Amino acid sequence: MEYFGSMLALAAPLGLGLAAVGSAYGIGRAVGSAMEAMGRQPEAAGKIQVSMIIGAAFIEALTIYALIAFFMAMGKLG
Amino acid sequence: MILAIVHKFFLIAPGWLGPILMAASGGGHGEEGGHSGGVEHLPSAVTFLEKYGIGHGVLETWVNVIFAFAIAIFLCLVSVRVYARRQMIPGPLQNFVEMLVEGMYNFIYSILGKDAKLYIPFVGTLFFYILALNWMGMIPFGHSPSTSLNITASMAIMVFLYVQYVGIHRQGFFGYLHHMAGSPSDVVTWCMVPLMFPLHLIGELAKPLSLSLRLFGNITGEDVLIAVFVGLGIAMVSFSPVGIPLQFPFYFLGLILSTVQALVFALLATIYILLMLPHEEHAAEH
Repeated sequence: MEYFGSMLALAAPLGLGLAAVGSAYGIGRAVGSAMEAMGRQPEAAGKIQVSMIIGAAFIEALTIYALIAFFMAMGKLG
Repeated sequence: MILAIVHKFFLIAPGWLGPILMAASGGGHGEEGGHSGGVEHLPSAVTFLEKYGIGHGVLETWVNVIFAFAIAIFLCLVSVRVYARRQMIPGPLQNFVEMLVEGMYNFIYSILGKDAKLYIPFVGTLFFYILALNWMGMIPFGHSPSTSLNITASMAIMVFLYVQYVGIHRQGFFGYLHHMAGSPSDVVTWCMVPLMFPLHLIGELAKPLSLSLRLFGNITGEDVLIAVFVGLGIAMVSFSPVGIPLQFPFYFLGLILSTVQALVFALLATIYILLMLPHEEHAAEH
C-alpha cells in the first residue's frame, strides 16, 4: 500500500504535466496562427478572436480532464 | 386553444428560463459540500461561522448553494432596481448596466444575427451569473460556487435542454430528427443515417459534460492555486505573525481566467443554439 501511494504521488503530477505540455503546444499554435491572421486582416479581428477563444477552450478542456483525474487521484492518496 | 397557450408559454421561454436556471443551480447540493475531492480552498465566511459553532455542519454542507443564491438575489435586485427606476437621462448605475447589456447584445448579435433578440436573455443571464460566481472566490470571505461540479453541471444541463427545445421549436419535431440524422438529402447521405444518428446523439450528450467539467476544472484549479500560494506565503515566514502576499500576482491571472471561462460558457451556449437553428437562414447570413 505504501508502495502504491508513492507510485501514485509520482505519477499523478507527472501525468498532469504531460497533459499540460500537449495543451500548451496546441494553444500556442492556435493563438500564434490567429495573431498572424489578425495581423494580415485587422478588419476580421473580431471573428478570428471568437473562433480562437472557442478553439482554445476545446484544446484546454483536455488538460482540465487531466486536472480532474489528478484531483481524483489526490483524493485516493489522502 | 390549448396549443395556443402552450405556444405562448414557450415563446416567453427565455424570460422564465433565467430564474429556473438560478433555482436549478442553487438546488444541486452535494454530499461533499465545499470540499470536492479533498482539495483545499481559502476559508470563507461560512467556514468562520462553522468555526465559532453557529452552523452545526449544515452551513458547511450548503456553502455552494448559499453563495449561489446570494449572487442570484444580488443580480436580481440590481436589475429590478435599475428597471424600476429607469430614466431618459441615466444615472451612474443605469449607465453601467446599459453598457453591459449593450455590449452583450452586440457580441451575441455578431454571432446569431437577427435571431439574437430571442436568445440574448438566456445567454446574457448565463454570462453575468457565471462571471459573478467565478469572481466570488476572489473577494475576502467569499467562496466560488463554481468550484462544485453540482452547480456547473446543473447549468450545463439547463443549456442542453434549452438547446434541444430551440431545435424542436425552430425546425419542428421532424426537422429536428432530420437535423440529428445529419440532414440527409441524397441516396448516399440517407445510407449514412444509421451511422450519423448515434454520432450526433453522442455529440449532443457530450456537450453538457464538457461544458460543466471545463468550468469546474478551471475555477477549482485557479482557487486551489491561490489557496496554495497563500499557504506558502504564511509558511515561508513562520516566525512572524504576518505572511507575505505571494498570491497577489495570481489574482490578476484569476480575474482574466474567470472572465474568459464565463465568456466561453456563454459563447459555447450561443454556438450550440446557432447549430440548432434552421440551416438556410444562417447560411444566407454569412
